[in-house]
Amino acid sequence: MTVAAGLGYALVALGPAFSLFAGVVARKPFLVLTLLTSTLFWLISLIILSGIWRVFLPIRSGAWWPYAILILTSVAFQEGIRLVFWRLYKKMEEMLDSFADRISKPRLCLTDKMLISLAGGLGHGVAHAVFFCLSLLTPAFGRATFYVEKCSRMPFFLVSAIISLGFLVIHTFSMIIAFNGYDERKRSDQVFVPVVHLIASVMTLINLAPGGCVIGTPLLCVMGAVTLQYCWQMLIC
Amino acid sequence: MGSGSTASLLAAVACVVLAVFPPVASGDAATLESVPDLVKAMYINVESFPCVRLLNHSGQVDPGHDKVIAPIVRFGNRNDQLVQPSAVLLPLNQMTDFFLRVSNDPELYHKIAGVLVEANGIDNMLEFSPDRKFPQQAFAPYSNLSHHWNPTGSGIMWNKYDFPVFLLSEESTQTLQNLADKNEKSANGYLANVAEFDLVMQTTKAGTHDSESCLREQSCLPLGGQSVWTSLPPISNSSTKHQKPIIMVTASQDSASFFRDRSLGADSPISGLIALLTAVDALSHLHDISNLKKQLVFAVFNGEAWGYLGSRKFLQELDQGADSVNGISSLLIDQVLEIGSIGKAISQGYPLFYAHAAGNSSISMKMVDALQSASESLGSDNVKVKPAASSNPGVPPSSLMSFLGKNSSTPGLVLEDFDSQFSNRFYHSTLDGPANINSSSIAAAAALIARSLYILASADLPIDLITLNTIKVNVSLVEELIGCLLKCDPGLSCGIVKSFISPSNSCPSHYVGVFQDLPAGTQFPSYADDISRFIWNFLADRTSSLAGNSSSCTGQCHDEGEICVGAEVEGGGRCVVSTTRYVPAYSTRLKFEDNVWHVLPVNSSDPFSAADPVWTESFWNTIGLRVYAVQATSYDWLVLLIGIIITAASYFAVIVGRSYISKIIKRD
Repeated sequence: MTVAAGLGYALVALGPAFSLFAGVVARKPFLVLTLLTSTLFWLISLIILSGIWRVFLPIRSGAWWPYAILILTSVAFQEGIRLVFWRLYKKMEEMLDSFADRISKPRLCLTDKMLISLAGGLGHGVAHAVFFCLSLLTPAFGRATFYVEKCSRMPFFLVSAIISLGFLVIHTFSMIIAFNGYDERKRSDQVFVPVVHLIASVMTLINLAPGGCVIGTPLLCVMGAVTLQYCWQMLIC
Repeated sequence: MGSGSTASLLAAVACVVLAVFPPVASGDAATLESVPDLVKAMYINVESFPCVRLLNHSGQVDPGHDKVIAPIVRFGNRNDQLVQPSAVLLPLNQMTDFFLRVSNDPELYHKIAGVLVEANGIDNMLEFSPDRKFPQQAFAPYSNLSHHWNPTGSGIMWNKYDFPVFLLSEESTQTLQNLADKNEKSANGYLANVAEFDLVMQTTKAGTHDSESCLREQSCLPLGGQSVWTSLPPISNSSTKHQKPIIMVTASQDSASFFRDRSLGADSPISGLIALLTAVDALSHLHDISNLKKQLVFAVFNGEAWGYLGSRKFLQELDQGADSVNGISSLLIDQVLEIGSIGKAISQGYPLFYAHAAGNSSISMKMVDALQSASESLGSDNVKVKPAASSNPGVPPSSLMSFLGKNSSTPGLVLEDFDSQFSNRFYHSTLDGPANINSSSIAAAAALIARSLYILASADLPIDLITLNTIKVNVSLVEELIGCLLKCDPGLSCGIVKSFISPSNSCPSHYVGVFQDLPAGTQFPSYADDISRFIWNFLADRTSSLAGNSSSCTGQCHDEGEICVGAEVEGGGRCVVSTTRYVPAYSTRLKFEDNVWHVLPVNSSDPFSAADPVWTESFWNTIGLRVYAVQATSYDWLVLLIGIIITAASYFAVIVGRSYISKIIKRD
């Protein structure tokens, strides 16, 4: 019976990603390639991070500050990776543009650029969701459920799925904002992205407090909504 | 579609990197490092001891079931009624009341999915015996069956229950109590901690509900094992013509309990077994034992708790002149001395034993006299023996009943620590452990037996008092054997056991088990349990006369009359001259033919044939108990619904957003 629950959690975490993929990315093979590349980038960043942090883990003390340092370094590193990704994208864009010039085809239009950044962001988000939620969800398909002691109101899997959903939205639309910011050299956009990423990550620490998940997970969804709203405003203006 | 393959790729490396970020939601993040850890935290495997399904020729006792899942509830109040099928968590001291009530309350019976019995709370228990008030009364050689040998007996062990019953260990009791508390607190109804009993009994599957049909369908095996007998001194083949009369000294080696792996039986009957082994050890130091008028034969019977399997099979083998009893015959058995429960004999500062003589024949009176002279010879040790009350209907439940059933005039005597009622308040229960007995009581019994055997074997010869007084028991051997046979530490990995066998399990259990051997070739059985093998090796070692060449061996010895002691031990054993043999112990109503066990019809010449329950134990694949939290089905569907709504809404939003943005861009 709990196949239903497992499927439900998976859809909560990855349903919007699926919608974006089916509605936007899958239409252009180029975007699929971008998505895969971005996923790979995110993965590599995670592996490097894990290699560094492996020395200090697991954190045995109950204090929250080691987690804060961990989150801070991880966010900083991943934002750095975003810049590298941007540079690579820029190089590729130049190549494509010169190629388009040579065969006298139109250059990449604004919509294309936006879609590429969306696919890139979705890659990050999907990688995050698969990693931190889908892999944990496999036991949710069994008979049992699981409640963490400090979060007795929500099943562990639901918390995990909602966090994943929040980060999916944040990662996807942050990328659009960031690319736009880099392109137009807008300082506010460039700063907004790391700040949102950091705030959202630190918010997950609320879950460490007893009963904190009831506050932490909705707040994360709010952060997702804020990112979405900011991106929307940026696009239609 | 690239994302599918990406997903699987990501999942493959998941475990490597998962350690980086703590699972965000968990408070005790440090303890969960991987998905298998999570699964372990979700499904808690509970250490427990099941009660398994046994069948007899008329039906089954004890539960047998498929997978059962039910919420864990406490059953505190004895007037409680259950609302839904539940796994009942029960303190051990309420077990008797509960099971008696269940048997009389069909409404409650059907609401029970399983029973979990707590291990703690036993300190203030004064009595607990799941066996009947007259255990195995069908085998009594007298007609007064209303006597209560076991007044604390409730008989709950012999009722049929259609639900699994598990005894928890002390650790798992704590876990289960916490879960039951949680269930009581969370009144929301959508979450519950459940117990999953995994106990697939083949007999239930095959639909065979009695021993005959399950043996035919091969979904069970008969209860049984190997008995061991030895003679002191060894019987040489040349002397078969002019054999001496035999004094049989017997004890049993198996116990029973509600939970089969928790059948220690410290007082009944292992105290008697330890006394027998110690007495053999004491007598083995005598030099002139072969000059005595009578032959001493020691036998340790297996399966006695399940219908006197060992003693009855032994007698049948004697009648048939089987190889396993070559050298002795039933006609030569002059006296039978059984060592019963003797671990609790110390009442007023000194050990006081009761001699339950069968019949009133002059020989059994002589045996009582011999015991009394032995007690006098012990002098300052102050070991007393009294004849049992004449108001008793006969001998208490014991292997002697088998001998009396065969020949009611067999002179016999059972030495016990009680007069007309068991002094063991925990007869055939899990609580009959090492704390229930007193090692000095066993040592006293062993000394008494050893000396009275010397007196009895001397028969009409004048007793050599000097030799008699040299017979002393090794008290440290008693202590050591208690540690080996009744405790988990050191258990069967103790020095004396390890010097003879390599035990398969260090924690001893005295449940008889199933007869796994082929009945043929019994002198060297391919399967004998740890206890039987230890007894065989111990007795062979102690009764051996000094062998000429102590050559190393790993199996059989070349010379006839020699056997290999300690063959399993690293470095091989040694060949000794000893008459020590295994005798199979299984129901006399079973016959192995064409690779199938057959239940024989009732044999009219054997009075116990009809009384024989023919116990069999069902095959089972796994027996397990785990507990976990489950959610209401409606909650699961709600989660699915939310997931679908989120997906659909986002898809809709994507379509709308896409067309809106392309419109704007076109306008630009």
